[in-house]
Parts: sequence; structure tokens; C-alpha cells
Amino acid sequence: MTSPPTVETRLPLSEARIPDDAFARMRRANLARWPTGAEVDFDAAVARHQAMPLHKRLGWVMREAAAQGRCLTQPRGGFGTFALQKELMQVLDKEGLADIVPTTTDSYTRNEQFQLAQKGIEESERMGRSLLNGYPIVNYGVAKAAELIDSIDKPAIMLTGTSMPKLTGEIAFAGGYSGYLGSGIAYTASYTKDLSIEDGIRNYQYLDRLAAMYQAHGVELHRRQPGFLTGTNIPPCVAIITGVLDMLLAVAQGVRNYGLEMGETLHLVQDAAAVRACRELCEEYLAKRGHVDVFTSVTLLHWMGAWPQDDAQAAALVAYGGTLAAVAGANSVTTKSTHEAFGIPTPKANADGLRTTRMAIYLARGVRLDSMPDFHAEVDLIKREVRPVVDKVLEMGDGDVALGSVRAAAAGVLDVPWSPSRWMRSAVMPARDAEGCLRILDPGRMPIPREVLEVHEEKLRRRAERERVDYGPDLAVASVYEMSESLGTIFTDRWAERPAG
Amino acid sequence: MMPDPERMPATTPRTIVTGVIGSDTHIVGNRILSMALEKAGYKVVALGALTPAPEFVKAAVETNADAILVSSLYGQGELDCRGFRELCIEAGLDAILLYVGGNLIVGKHPWDVVERIFLDMGFDRAAAPGMRVETVLDWLAQDFAARERAPRRQAG
Repeated sequence: MTSPPTVETRLPLSEARIPDDAFARMRRANLARWPTGAEVDFDAAVARHQAMPLHKRLGWVMREAAAQGRCLTQPRGGFGTFALQKELMQVLDKEGLADIVPTTTDSYTRNEQFQLAQKGIEESERMGRSLLNGYPIVNYGVAKAAELIDSIDKPAIMLTGTSMPKLTGEIAFAGGYSGYLGSGIAYTASYTKDLSIEDGIRNYQYLDRLAAMYQAHGVELHRRQPGFLTGTNIPPCVAIITGVLDMLLAVAQGVRNYGLEMGETLHLVQDAAAVRACRELCEEYLAKRGHVDVFTSVTLLHWMGAWPQDDAQAAALVAYGGTLAAVAGANSVTTKSTHEAFGIPTPKANADGLRTTRMAIYLARGVRLDSMPDFHAEVDLIKREVRPVVDKVLEMGDGDVALGSVRAAAAGVLDVPWSPSRWMRSAVMPARDAEGCLRILDPGRMPIPREVLEVHEEKLRRRAERERVDYGPDLAVASVYEMSESLGTIFTDRWAERPAG
Repeated sequence: MMPDPERMPATTPRTIVTGVIGSDTHIVGNRILSMALEKAGYKVVALGALTPAPEFVKAAVETNADAILVSSLYGQGELDCRGFRELCIEAGLDAILLYVGGNLIVGKHPWDVVERIFLDMGFDRAAAPGMRVETVLDWLAQDFAARERAPRRQAG
């Protein structure tokens, strides 16, 4: 099931750290792919990072947030021209009080269609509004990236929704970005159709190896895994399975500062349990494989599924999203805004979303669920779902995470719901239960133990009965749009009418 | 769930091409739409995510399709959909029904402004964010019925 090699010198797939000489060759070829690649000067980049104050370096900021028990805020945001992007980042920093400032790339850049991105820049500049859904960082190059970093007083992270991060990563790190979100398994499963899981893993091995090269030169960058996946009702166990595997792949390349992200389920107890289970499972698998010096953080993301169009309903999701992250003890939360149902928000709406979230975090700052038996039961349930799958993946790779992941995805052992990729089976099907937790309706071929699945089925059947929906795919589809429905539909103010007399 | 007889197509099932255009991966709504179209009795050619415009047209020609339903959720639909109708005409699909739907351009704009942009491009219908599958099925039934009443437009 592996794709044909694209270069003759390609190393056999494994989790092993890419050797220095091979990596130097790969970098030369990569940087030659677009003119701005020539602007990357590694020594100058290292000096640039070292000259930045600690509070602008995301590696340090994430460690400090964890040490102080703070939940940081970070939005998304990218526009098609440099001027719009700079203004956006300044608004998010100054008016949104963002703890971490993002740069989201446009979808042409994500797919390395730099010619199309160039056309998008020109049209956006001509029309005075962004026709691209993000910032084409490769086309603008290193000096412009550095100018963006200099225009803010926070650390900056690249959000690139891509399986092809090699050139974007080089330019961004060289420009002073100290964080990069993305990973081989998660993004390939969520953002591509034809690219194999193997190629996605290889591409991110490059990025992780690059981050490790900075680490070796005294610059600790923050790498992050997008466990929110397809953003559509991802149960915590599915997120954590890919998270642990992607983390082990990154650590094998030498990454030492790694964040795990999960979309909020919107159930307070399940989200808190997900954060706890994720943190402990990461530590467990790092220890099992002998890694003692890796820092991990956990981030929750505001609702990643379909949003309601009503401003008031959306505002509740924004605020509650902050509450969930704070109570869960997440190290940071990635925010959305009331514009979410309509697409990309204005800088002001985005900044408002940040401040709404920030206030909610403040209000919930002292609340934890540790005394609650349901919380511990949920943590335990998630661990019983994750371990059998991760262990099976590792076994299928004879201990090698890269090989195991590719083989397991082909076999459906590693699976992601609603994936656009033809390399994932997408047989696993989630749905929301009667209490509001995300459960597994159909595990596909994921080896989740029967007694665990029985817990899921019992809870889902209760919802199907209550709402008179067939126990099957209809329940999954109903769960996809649930949060975007009007209040009159999901939570009516009318009393059920009683028969007369 | 039983197919709704009012939304049932004629005896020979009509063929509908679906997909998410351009560099967009938002597949969920499109997949649910495709499932609903099949359930309603249509023959569905689902191209999935990340589908360039020419692939829609190619698939429509190969399957002699009656309609193409284009999804775009990531804001760049305006760039991706330009010239779509012209591509269809070049391929001899003058009369094919074209719908587009989703979050079609970057930012929050009044729907009539967005709709106008896409109708001007030659789409027969544009579906606003949050549009339900049932409405699309109604549109298809109406538009196909209208076409059966009116003589088909002839090429060139």
C-alpha cells in the first residue's frame, strides 16, 4: 500500500531520525522549489530566535503556561495580502489580548500551489479585499514573515492545515515563527484526498527534523498536533490515538516541545477527562519508549463542527468553549468567533471571540472536577479505548511507529471519521449520546474492546429511543448538524401539549 | 427512512455529480448531501473533496449527468468557480443544471450579494450556509420538472 518513491535516494520508511547528510540534501532540494526558499539562512534564523525576548518564543511560553497552570488563548487568522495580515495580527494581539498570535495559510499554499496563490495575492490587492482564505507566506518570503513577527509582542504560530509543510515551515521558522501546528497522520487523514499516509508522515518527519535542528542549536520551537482531525464529532479516544502516534513520530526526529490538540466535545466532564487522559497517555507512551525529556501540552479547540448562524447561540459556544478549556485544565484554547457559521471572521469579530473566551477562562479559573466520580470513570474509559489501538498499531509496525501507522491505516485499525482521504477507511462512526458526550456508534475495524463498546452503545441507544431516531447512521448524521440547529429546534420554549380533558 | 414520493425522480434515475471544489477538504456536508440524493433515488457520482473544476465537467460528460452540485466551504469558492459554466459549455453541457453551496466567499456578507456573484457566473442556484438537504431536493424536483415542460436548450 506504499506509494512509489519520488526520488531515487529516498530512505526506507521508518521512524528513525533522518541522518544529517540526507537531511541536508532534502533541505537543498526543498528550498529550491520556490524563489523565496533562497532567503532561508539557518544561522541567521537561529540568531533571530535567540535575540527575541522569551515571551515571544512559544516553546518557552507553553512551558511557562503549564508551570503556572494558565490557559492561554489563541485564535486562527489569515488574510491574502501582507497589509491585511499585519493589521489582523496586531488587532488580535492588542485588541484580542491573544496570548498566541496565529498565521493561517491559504488553501493554495497548503497544497503548494504557489502559482495560484500568486494570482490570489494579485487579485486581492487589486480588489482591496482578501480572496484567499489565509496568508500565502511562501510567496511573500522570509523578510515579510519577520516583519509580521516584529509587528506583534506575542509568540506566533503557523496554522497551515496541510500535509505538505516543508517550505512553509522553512520560511516561517526562518522568519521568527516559534510554533507550527500540523502532523503527518492527522493532517493527511483530514486535509488530503490522494496523498498517502506514508508521504504525509515523511513530509512531517522533515518538519520535525527541522524543528529538532533548531533545538540542537539552542532554539526550542513548539510543535503541535491537530488531533481535532476532521472536526466532526471526533471522540476523545480517536483524537488521542492519532496524537500519541504523531507525537512519537516527532519525538523520534528530536522534537522536545510538543502540543496535543483536541476539539471540544462540548460535554464538560468528557472534555476535562479527555485533557487528563491525553496528558497521562502521552507521558505513559513517552516513558514506555524511554523518552524522559519531552515537554507536552494539551490544547482544546472551540467547537469544530457546524456552527449556529444566530449570533447569540454562537456567543454561547465561544464563551462555553473558554469555560470547558479552563475547567479541563488545558494549557491553551483555540478560539472561534460569532462569525464562524459564515466563514472567516473580521479582525474585530475574531478579537471579540478572544476576549469573550478570556473572560470565561477567568471566571472558571478555580474550578476542577477531580472530586467527581464521573470524571474519573470517563478518564478510565478513554484510556481503555486508546491503549488497545495504539498498542496494536505499534505491534503492526514491529515497534516502528511510522510503519505501524501506515499499515494500521490501510487495515482500518487506525481510523478517522468523515475523512476525505482515500487512504483512510473512515468506517468508524461517532454520534452524540443522550447526555451530550461523543460516543462510538460503529468502531469500523478499530480494535476497541467489546466491553468498552457496550458502554457506548448503551448510551447511544438511550438517545435513539428518546428522540425516536433509528440506531444507525441516521443518529450519526443527526449529530453532525445538531449544534448548528436553531434553539427552537434543539431546545424549544414550548411545553408539550397535553391531550384535552 | 422511506424516500419521499414527491421528491422521487422520474423512472430513469437522473444522474448528479457532487464534489467539493478546488483545494477544499470540507467533505462532511457534501457526503451527507450525496447520501440524501441517493436515498431520494438519484444516481450520484460523488467526486469527494479537493476536486478541480475540470474534473466535475469531465465526470459529468462521462456519466451524461443532469446536474452538478458544487460545494465550497473554505471561502475561496469565488476564485475556484469562475468560468465553471464556460467549461460546461465548452464540453457541450449547455443545459446542465448547476448548483453551488456553502460558505462561498471570504467573510460575512449579505446573502443576496453572494448569491448574485454566483448566479452571474452561470449557476442556476446558490445555497446559503446552513441550507438543508430537503430544500436542495425540492429545488432539484422543481428544476427538473420545469426542464421537462420546456424544450431543452440546444447547443450552438
